Amino acid sequence: MTFTLPPGLALQKVDERIMTLNVGPQHPGSGHMRIIVQIDGDYIVACDPDPGYVHRGEEKMAEYRNYITNIPHLERPVIHDSCNVLYPYVLGAEELLGIEVPERAKYVRVIASELNRCIYIMYWLAIYGIFLGHSTMFMWPAGDRELLIDLMEKMTGARVTHAHFVPGGVRNDLPPNFEDVCLRQVNYFEKRIKEYAAVFYDNPILISRTKDTGILSRQDAIRYGTTGSVLRASGVDYDLRVKEPYDVYDELDVHTNVMKEGDSYARSRVPWLDMMESCNIIRQALQKMPKSGSVRVKLKPNPKTKGLESVYKRVESGRGSLGCYIVSDAKPEPYRVKMSVPSFRNLIALPNLLKGEKLGNMPSVYWSLNYWPVEADR
Amino acid sequence: MGTATGIIRALNSGIKHIATKRFTLRYPEEKLKFVGDGYQFDPSTGVGIAGLKGRHMLFHDHCTGCQLCSIACEGVAEAIAMVKVPEEQKQNKKSIMPQIDYGKCVFCGLCVDACPFYALYMTNDYELSSFSKEGLIYTPAQLQVKPYVAQDSEIQISDRGATHG
Repeated sequence: MTFTLPPGLALQKVDERIMTLNVGPQHPGSGHMRIIVQIDGDYIVACDPDPGYVHRGEEKMAEYRNYITNIPHLERPVIHDSCNVLYPYVLGAEELLGIEVPERAKYVRVIASELNRCIYIMYWLAIYGIFLGHSTMFMWPAGDRELLIDLMEKMTGARVTHAHFVPGGVRNDLPPNFEDVCLRQVNYFEKRIKEYAAVFYDNPILISRTKDTGILSRQDAIRYGTTGSVLRASGVDYDLRVKEPYDVYDELDVHTNVMKEGDSYARSRVPWLDMMESCNIIRQALQKMPKSGSVRVKLKPNPKTKGLESVYKRVESGRGSLGCYIVSDAKPEPYRVKMSVPSFRNLIALPNLLKGEKLGNMPSVYWSLNYWPVEADR
Repeated sequence: MGTATGIIRALNSGIKHIATKRFTLRYPEEKLKFVGDGYQFDPSTGVGIAGLKGRHMLFHDHCTGCQLCSIACEGVAEAIAMVKVPEEQKQNKKSIMPQIDYGKCVFCGLCVDACPFYALYMTNDYELSSFSKEGLIYTPAQLQVKPYVAQDSEIQISDRGATHG
């Protein structure tokens, strides 16, 4: 007996077989962005990421506010990595205003920055877990993140948007007895994240879902200009904390984590290794930090720069190298602030990675790019 | 490592947590402990004192009505408005004091950094919910009141894990 499909179901032409699917912008698995995927059955033929739904005009806003007032709004793009997102702006403003930062403030900044990196990665990991249907991996990082948020709250007074870094140092000194509390909680945190290996990273279900999906070769990773954990997962040993040390990173022993595979698994594992490295850096910084001294240079109200000058500074944020280009023209407000964000650069690799993948692999590949929609749109 | 061993290891790692203590905080009954009495600023050294950035507190006997806090808030949240108060304070010739709209405030604390007269501090009070928008506007008289904040829970780390004890 021969079986024939009714007319309309049997699609023979290639053009008719391909379906366009919009993932987002209201989809929980995409964030505030849209991925337009063209699928042939279960396989992705083409993919077009469509960011821009949460554009806030941060760069234009920065032209109407002075160097201090810019701080609260410039950290809004990535609220759970707010110290790192502000770091290049503050370094640039310091160079323009000609401020020498006290030694202790530099160490406090490094500690805050590394704590924030861990907070960001934990949030990212929690979402990566729930994208893959692993509810335990959503609950554990979300809970353990609390240890570090508690430290940031003691240190800066706010749980997420700290507004802690200012041109000239940090807003306030560390509270009394902070070093002991920080060391204890960071040590426990490191012990906790090592437990993630058994439940998540060595889990055969995760490995079968992420291994050999979305492979980004070393050449492509460099050619697309990807940064951060995506670049390091493709076998490029590049970390700005080592290559272009800012503040006191040249005095600390920073180890770069590199994996050669370049697949989703490597991209999900490198941030986890980075967290352990961050714990090492925090311990070193606590040891080497001057025990007393000023943490902030007193500035005049509405500080002005000397003339038409420009500066470009970049730091290693939780997602990769984050640059800030500031042009000033002897006014209290900067003439132009341009943020060069890692999220947007990592997104460029997405169409290439998804071509030929199954639709079910899309969340694991997409979120492994360490992409944060709000930062890309800024 | 085989698939079966891997799954057993993953399950085993989770099962261990049946015996560990609960990490979560029972919020309305238990409340977090903070360092100090809230974020403060010392204008003579130009450095702040660590503390939670919560609801503000205004010292009427220090406030001169100079509007620096209001100017600092321009471009950030525009939450501070200077309002007329009864003429009682000698140092405040214009008799104006800040009124803060917590529907707009982002709790960055730049107004505290701007005050040169030790008049505006932040407190540990973070429970500011209200049924109406008007209820979030705190007048100078309301800002004068020192809040009572229950603080009883802190992260404790023991061999059996971390808890809020």
